[in-house]
Amino acid sequence: MKFSFSALLLSMGLLAAPGAAQATTAADIQSFTLDNGMKIMVLEDGSIPNANMYLFWKVGSRNEVPGITGISHFFEHMMFNGSKKYGPKMFDRTMEAAGGANNAYTTEDMTVYTDWFPANALETMFDLEADRIANLDINQTMVDSERGVVASERTTGLENSNWRTLQEELKGVAFRAHPYSWPVIGHESDIAAWTLDDLVQYHKTYYAPNNAVMVVSGDVKFDEVKRLADKYLAPIPPQAPPARVRTVEPQQKGERRVFVQKASVSTPNVMLAYHVPASSNADYYALDLLSAILSQGKSSRLYRGLVDKQVALEAEAYLPMSLDPNLFYIMGVASPGVAATKLEQALLTQIKAIARDGVTKDELEKVKNIKLMEFYHAMETINGKANTLGTYELYFGSYDKLFNAPKAYNQLTPADIQRVAQTYLTKANRTVAVLAATEEADL
Amino acid sequence: MSRVTQIFSQTRIVGALLLAGSLTLAGCAATQKHATSSLVDTGSFSMPAYEKFTLDNGLSFYLMPQTEVPLVTLNAMVRAGAINDTKAGVAHMTSQWLLLGSGGKSKAEIEQTVDSLGASLQAEAGMEGSYLSADFMAKDTDKMLPLFATVLLSPNFDYAEFDKLREREVAGLSQDKESPRAVIGRYFNKLVFGTHPYGNAASGTRESLAGLSLSQLRAFHKSYYQPQNTSISVVGDFDPAQMKARLKKAFAGWKNTRELVQPELAQLPSLDKSRVLLVDKGDAIETTFLIGGPGVNRSNPDYVGLTVVNTILGGRFTSWLNDELRVNSGLTYGARSGFVPYAHAGLFQISTFTKQASTQEAIDLALKTYARLWQQGIDQQTLDSAKAYVKGQFPPKFETSGQLAGLLSDMALYGFDDSFINEFQAKVDGLTLDETRRLVNTYFPQHNLQYVLIGNADKIAKIAAKYGEVTRVDIKAAGFGG
Repeated sequence: MKFSFSALLLSMGLLAAPGAAQATTAADIQSFTLDNGMKIMVLEDGSIPNANMYLFWKVGSRNEVPGITGISHFFEHMMFNGSKKYGPKMFDRTMEAAGGANNAYTTEDMTVYTDWFPANALETMFDLEADRIANLDINQTMVDSERGVVASERTTGLENSNWRTLQEELKGVAFRAHPYSWPVIGHESDIAAWTLDDLVQYHKTYYAPNNAVMVVSGDVKFDEVKRLADKYLAPIPPQAPPARVRTVEPQQKGERRVFVQKASVSTPNVMLAYHVPASSNADYYALDLLSAILSQGKSSRLYRGLVDKQVALEAEAYLPMSLDPNLFYIMGVASPGVAATKLEQALLTQIKAIARDGVTKDELEKVKNIKLMEFYHAMETINGKANTLGTYELYFGSYDKLFNAPKAYNQLTPADIQRVAQTYLTKANRTVAVLAATEEADL
Repeated sequence: MSRVTQIFSQTRIVGALLLAGSLTLAGCAATQKHATSSLVDTGSFSMPAYEKFTLDNGLSFYLMPQTEVPLVTLNAMVRAGAINDTKAGVAHMTSQWLLLGSGGKSKAEIEQTVDSLGASLQAEAGMEGSYLSADFMAKDTDKMLPLFATVLLSPNFDYAEFDKLREREVAGLSQDKESPRAVIGRYFNKLVFGTHPYGNAASGTRESLAGLSLSQLRAFHKSYYQPQNTSISVVGDFDPAQMKARLKKAFAGWKNTRELVQPELAQLPSLDKSRVLLVDKGDAIETTFLIGGPGVNRSNPDYVGLTVVNTILGGRFTSWLNDELRVNSGLTYGARSGFVPYAHAGLFQISTFTKQASTQEAIDLALKTYARLWQQGIDQQTLDSAKAYVKGQFPPKFETSGQLAGLLSDMALYGFDDSFINEFQAKVDGLTLDETRRLVNTYFPQHNLQYVLIGNADKIAKIAAKYGEVTRVDIKAAGFGG
């Protein structure tokens, strides 16, 4: 059971046993940068006759300002609604007729476009992507119908997810200055109000090749990807780099609280959030393992301390990767008959225990193994590979940091985990959000 | 993505537009292709090599080596699910009982062992099958395989853990009903199948779970968890000869105890009128709805063809339903359709959601779009595109060890073979326009449609009445898997 990340390092070495499986290594990835600044990474993998193309744009809700909140996400939708060569509806029709499918997602930090296709449709994908990057044609009619789509996306998220409902309110309180304050989907009034001009400006500013990273993974050849990138993407001119996000969230000086009422909630939901540094900070790895010790698996602190004790039906911790300082989330759903205050105290008890007594060596070894399994699962599919490589490239500055992560995790000691708990999970640094069917009356 | 991580991003399309689960077919003879059709080459894909063997006790194994990552997946499938429920939720609760401790080791001890290896151990029961699955690093096979066998065969009689499980499950049913999307299928299933075993909600209801005892679970376990009724798929990084020896050691001593009895499923209810189940959620800010009726079973020879036709109707982004309800009108974030196949019957359903004020507009547009199947039919260009799409999106469904283990378990449960994978492309390519007309007329329910609407009933009751005989229920009321 004394297994650690050294096994991963071994598996990445040259001396794996004959016939033994060998996960992807840094040497399997080839990359190049076009003159216009777009970096492209290629991972050849012929295990299925398919490939994918992931485009990571360095734009998310952190790049917005009041009045156009949610525009990054709305823009993600507009990228499918027509350009010079492929007019409205033709992007999807052309892709699907070639056997491809797509999706896209927007976060606080980035917008990611994902194309999945039979490998022999690679050139069609380059043609489609290049056309909408170089020649997007934003059409007022499409803007109007897409507003309805996004309004429905916002509503169905709030209708079906209590966490989304609660997190939206929490962020507004935890951040009073930085753009992480508003939800990625934006405020309802902004969704209804942004203009064609806002969208045109947004495309020009952020959808320049020097603001993107591309990953192609699957049954492709590097030389062919390079040839197609030169043909379709290299001619697109770069733009002046976007302005940096200037606002730094002021230090929080005491606990903040928010309550949200929703009649259909059967038991209270409690969410705690603590300010933590950006993922590029050295403490990221210790915070990530702290999150895993708290909530991954049924031997985790939160499961043992809350779920198994019938205080919570579920309890989780979550640390998003982030370009700017963000939040470390801890949340729970109360068991029947358990009040929000009791659930909140139970969550805090677990946090305090780690800050006071630390974690055990066995616990640390356990979560290192869990992280290793996560790595293997990501490397099991061409999509996992592409998404993980691009994510590391954006958050840590280079995809090869993915292959350094095992070492970074492996160096951590129980004292490191205790130190980050003591440093960041403090009362003055937290926001507490409660969602329940009825608000407690005044005394 | 988990429920938690989902809240940190916004996605263009919710979930996968394609049907959940893998598809089955039997001998659908490839017909001559249409003269003007153009076929897209999406590359070749075939079933990875595997070995099947059966022990003297009737337990069957599928072994498929895969060496991309040093992991192993084990998946045991027991032929028993909600259709076998003697009391609502027994199959589901029996599957969860497996995880409460086994072979004298406590729940906490087993969880500690599994987590410390970075492994996972999960159980679930569906309509017709119960599953135990484990996922771990290949080097830990000697720890995880014996544990897996013990968990499957010898769950402890721990009354305290059982009481806690039951309390969590009952509360979980109320939690589920906070999300219309999570529960609407349970209402639809019951509406279409009524008292037939396919109408059973696998989750049970809070009333049925409250009355369950550990001895009822034991009786269910004895009746169905037998080697003759089980198959185990092993996929991943292993040496087949060594794995075979380990499996024999772990399972050869398992004995059959009873004759197997499976329920009678042939008598399906007939639907003689349109009905609307109106589910009241007082604080709803949108209306979520399903429209449909009976579908087909998984061994239907036309299953692949139906997948192609459904792709055109509501199985992809450019499908008619999504194009009309989302792209053209902005009424919804997504609209889709699909077949839900079981072994002896199935469902067909159209699903979407819209703001309360556009409830009627969205239902009418969904119905009008659905009617195009009969009124207008499918054109060659759209058929060619759908064929390319279905073929091109097929291989990634069988990429991971977990997906392949699921495929092998489905083969065992539904009785299909490698031709499902190996002949898939040829069968898709062989579909003609004439065939699509036959499929539409034979299988898509055209009359006596059934509706489930979840929303603010006071505001949409009058609209609901336009589509059929209305039954109104409160979403918080017990029943329908809650």
